[in-house]
Amino acid sequence: MAKAKDALLDPLFNNNPIALQILGICSALAVTNKLSTALTMTIAVTLVTACSNAAISAIRNHIPNSIRIIVQMTIIATLVIIIDQMLKAYLYEMSKALSVYVGLIITNCIVMGRAEAYAMKNPVGLSFLDGIGNGLGYGVVLMSVGFVRELFGSGKLFGVTILNTVNDGGWYVTNGLMLLAPSAFFLIGFIIWGLRTWKPELQE
Amino acid sequence: MSNDSIFKTFLVAFLLCVVCSVLVCLAAIVRIDKEAYNKQLEIRKTVLAAGGYQQQIDAGGKIDELFTTNMELKLVDLATGEYTTAVDAATYNQREAVENPELSVGIPADLDIAKIGTRAKYAAVYLDKSGTVVLPIHGGGMWGPIYGYISVAADGTTIKGLTFYQHAETPGLGAEIDNPNWKKQWPEKKIYNSSGKLAIKVVKKGKYNASAADAVSTVDGLAGATVTGNKVNAIIRYWLGENGYAPFLAKFKAERG
Repeated sequence: MAKAKDALLDPLFNNNPIALQILGICSALAVTNKLSTALTMTIAVTLVTACSNAAISAIRNHIPNSIRIIVQMTIIATLVIIIDQMLKAYLYEMSKALSVYVGLIITNCIVMGRAEAYAMKNPVGLSFLDGIGNGLGYGVVLMSVGFVRELFGSGKLFGVTILNTVNDGGWYVTNGLMLLAPSAFFLIGFIIWGLRTWKPELQE
Repeated sequence: MSNDSIFKTFLVAFLLCVVCSVLVCLAAIVRIDKEAYNKQLEIRKTVLAAGGYQQQIDAGGKIDELFTTNMELKLVDLATGEYTTAVDAATYNQREAVENPELSVGIPADLDIAKIGTRAKYAAVYLDKSGTVVLPIHGGGMWGPIYGYISVAADGTTIKGLTFYQHAETPGLGAEIDNPNWKKQWPEKKIYNSSGKLAIKVVKKGKYNASAADAVSTVDGLAGATVTGNKVNAIIRYWLGENGYAPFLAKFKAERG
């Protein structure tokens, strides 16, 4: 039970894939200018990581060592394609907003990293939880960055106006940097700084 | 059997490929049906928004219903301004026609103010029951192409609305061309002046003078987005000019206005 809890909760802060392992940064820069895209991406990555972890773990005793990376990639790619196609079918506008970044989950190091580091050695249930945990750990950072970027960049949260912007006749002058990808770099930097100050044992 | 024997390696690879391809195929089958409909819905939504139905859409009006009861698709031969039935309107795709040498024509560099390059010979326009016509427009933006629709009243010169459905302008600056507060400047602007010359233009933010004689054909630009303003200006002026819809709008006015 303790192991399951660790698998699920550790990646949230103690072993956060973005803040600690510094994985999956590129998509964290690209999809965080709105909370809605960040949330969709979080769900997509969580699903892919959890399912790929479970699938790889289920067949881990039959995967020939010489082709194990290719086997992992094939499973991950299949799951990503399915998610991408489903978004195109049922959430068309969202899939347009996320553009290529859903497809790029295939190359997201978190998914591959957890498959190789965890799912190859652990049973199905734990691997699944580890996938969920890492997806949520990725999501915590994505949502925090998305929150700041959407609020200060467009004065909104989930598309609902919080700060009335000058462009809409209000008072708030939007911070243009927040709408551009580099701002996520600074924010992730602050998050890493904050996390390592809060938990000094994470410092290298 | 050892996991690393050649036979086992091939077996695992083969089985994995079979299972994965079946799953991918199933997903694709679901997507193909839906995506075509989604794309059509998006075009319909943009056409309705440009045609002045934004309020009905916001109020929860059914897009398909609004569209089919109000809009009629027609193809216009841009060279003559006449309606044409040279190709089947229902299956014609103006954006794909650009790739087809038989359906497209290169724009000479000196006339190509909007950096379009090659354009389709026929434009897919939508006639609205209320008497306006919704025209597709496109051209180069600051970072990528801009696609949209503009609607013109039955008098052939009064703009009714403008909406873009695809662009890559800078978020917060040029991308404000999607802002309803900016778009609301467009309705009631006149495309041509009293002597029939192309007059509509987008000026730099702050250069708009409401009391000037040409104010009725002038749109104020966006703060911090002078380039985007210039690009939109070029797109509008190309498409509403002599090489764009001007011949069609003249006939449209004679027929309806």
